[in-house]
Formats: sequence, structure tokens, C-alpha cells
Amino acid sequence: MGLLCCFLGAISFGLLGTALKAAERSKADAAGLVVSAYAWPALLMLVRTLALRPGGHIPTKVYVIAVIFGICAAVASLAFQVSIRIGKVTVGWLMMNLSAGVPVVVSIWMYHEKLTPLKVGALGLALVSIFFLSWGQVTERRAIAGNPSKGE
Amino acid sequence: MWFLLMLVILLTNGMSAFGLKMIAAWKLSETVKYPYLTAWYAGGLAAIALPMLLKGMRLGKTEIFWGGVAGALSIGGQIAMAVALSSGIPGHMVFPIAIGGSIFVVALAGRLIFGERMNLPTTLGLALGFTAVVLLGVS
Repeated sequence: MGLLCCFLGAISFGLLGTALKAAERSKADAAGLVVSAYAWPALLMLVRTLALRPGGHIPTKVYVIAVIFGICAAVASLAFQVSIRIGKVTVGWLMMNLSAGVPVVVSIWMYHEKLTPLKVGALGLALVSIFFLSWGQVTERRAIAGNPSKGE
Repeated sequence: MWFLLMLVILLTNGMSAFGLKMIAAWKLSETVKYPYLTAWYAGGLAAIALPMLLKGMRLGKTEIFWGGVAGALSIGGQIAMAVALSSGIPGHMVFPIAIGGSIFVVALAGRLIFGERMNLPTTLGLALGFTAVVLLGVS
């Protein structure tokens, strides 16, 4: 059951990336789509918060970081939605997931987390991957500039 | 433009989940998570909706429909991962399968549905990136 849920999670997130590309093909406005995609979970979370009625004082700093990082997430979603108009959804989706390396680096710097060989390897591979993806994009743009009929 | 967008995605999406790490480091109670996530979504919503409202833009049926689909799939994925974790599957298995698998699904859809073709450097970049994401999930 647990393993099945892992695969259901993979399919669900994969279909999310696919749905966002399908929305782009349907000419959905990028900003409008992000607003709509954030409105539903915001409402759900509000209902959940009100239902749970968390006791005790919640420090203001919690709300401050929530708003800051929420804005970060929305900007990322908007950038992704705009990027798939001019680039490949697979590359954009991979970049969204490669971004998991950023908090790893920040955690090492901020919380002095241990830098294991696995983390070094993963971060190194991520950098090499970004280099190849950028190279691929440059090559493709050059090919399109040389032969405009190749463009999507 | 594409490079700038990729940089923005890397930095902003990467940092977006860091708040939960900070909350854990502050050793606050678990119940703080829900008000935190409410403010997180509300902050993101306001950041994009306010400029839209000021420009007099309105949401169309297409945006409401696809936004709903995206929201449902996102919540579905989160629930599936939460169930997998609570059923005893360790995180170092759940995250690589869920995240690595999602890249595979998107790559497949990109090729079969949207007709995306990859050149050699992009294919190599995808293969290496896929491995990096799986390793990040394991670590």
C-alpha cells in the first residue's frame, strides 16, 4: 500500500506538470492560472486551520516567513508557466525539482548541516546537468535561428 | 529570457519550502504548520493577484478550470506521499520515487503528447538532472 502510494504520488505530480503544459497550450493566462492554482489550497488550508483551532500564541515571525516564502513559491510557479511557453516542459519541470538543491546548500550554511559525500555528488551532478541543459537550449536556439521551421 | 526564468525558478522554488525547515529549527508545535501554510498560500496568492487586480485583469474559465486541476493534482500528490510515509516507507525511498517518477511522467508526456524533441546536450542534462534529483531525495 505504501509503495503504491509512492507511485501514485509520482503520477499525480507528473500529471500536474502535464496539466500545466496543457493549460499553456489552451492559452491560459500564466498569472491567472497561478492565482487559481493558489486560491484552492489557500481556501482548504484556511478551513483546516479554523477547524483545528491551534491553541497558544503563534509568533509573528511564523507569518512573516510564511508570506515571504509563499511569494517565492508563487513567483517560481509564474516563472515556470512563462518558461514552458518558450522552452520545454520537461526541462522546466526538472529545474523545479533540481531547485531542491538550494535549501540543501542554505541548510549547510545556516544550520551547519553535515556535507555528506552523497550531497556533494548530488549537488555536483545538478550543476553539470544545468550546464548541459543550458548548452542544449543555446544549441536549439541557434538551430531555430538558422532554420525557423524547426521551432515549435 | 529563458536563462533568467530558469535562475528565478531555481532560487525561488528552492527557497519556497525552507520556511518549514526554519519552523522545525525554532522547535514550534506541529499545529503551527496549518496557519503557516494558510499564510504561505495567501502570500503567494496576493503577490500575483494584486498586480492582476490593479491592471483590471479577470480570471477566465480556462484559468479557473486548469488551476483547479493543478490544485487537485498537487494535493493528491501530497496526500499520496503523506500516506506512503505514514505507512512506514522511509523518506529516502518516498521522495526519490515520487519526485523522480514525476519527472519521468512529464518527460513521457512532453514527448508523446506535446511532441517535444531533445537534442543531445538536453538529453544528457535531463539524465544527469534526474540522477541528481533522486540523490537529493535519498540524502
